[in-house]
Amino acid sequence: MSNDPDKVWPTGLTLREAEEVHSYLIDGTRVFGVISLIARVLVAVTTPWLG
Amino acid sequence: MNNVKMWLVVKPTVGVPLFLSAVPIGSVAVHVAVLSNTTRVADFLSGKPIGGAAATASLVLPEAEAAKVAFVPGGSQEVLITMPDGTTTRAVLQMPQDLAALD
Repeated sequence: MSNDPDKVWPTGLTLREAEEVHSYLIDGTRVFGVISLIARVLVAVTTPWLG
Repeated sequence: MNNVKMWLVVKPTVGVPLFLSAVPIGSVAVHVAVLSNTTRVADFLSGKPIGGAAATASLVLPEAEAAKVAFVPGGSQEVLITMPDGTTTRAVLQMPQDLAALD
């Protein structure tokens, strides 16, 4: 496995593995964004936020 | 996908915790900045009405024209009414059934 020609250094991940890591990170960021968007709507409705 | 190849350079064991800690640190910093520059949350926690000074003023103004009523000390049912012009008068509070008996 350590001689896998697809591995890229310095991390030793393959491009496919890098894509997998990145997809989880993007998904988490999207979930965070949706939750914060809901929170902002609630704040805008219930307080004089932004006047 | 954009920026995928960063994981070929940055180890996920370093980059993921860095990213996951940067998000809450930035988020907390923004919230601290908002809380330290506004009084809304402090007002809410101390029971003041939401909406700031303008709304508070509009709530106070009508009250200035209203008569004020206070119980006369001594445990009686008398109340002292102070009219907006400063004149006072007394009134006796009675239960509805007592008033019906008087009729």
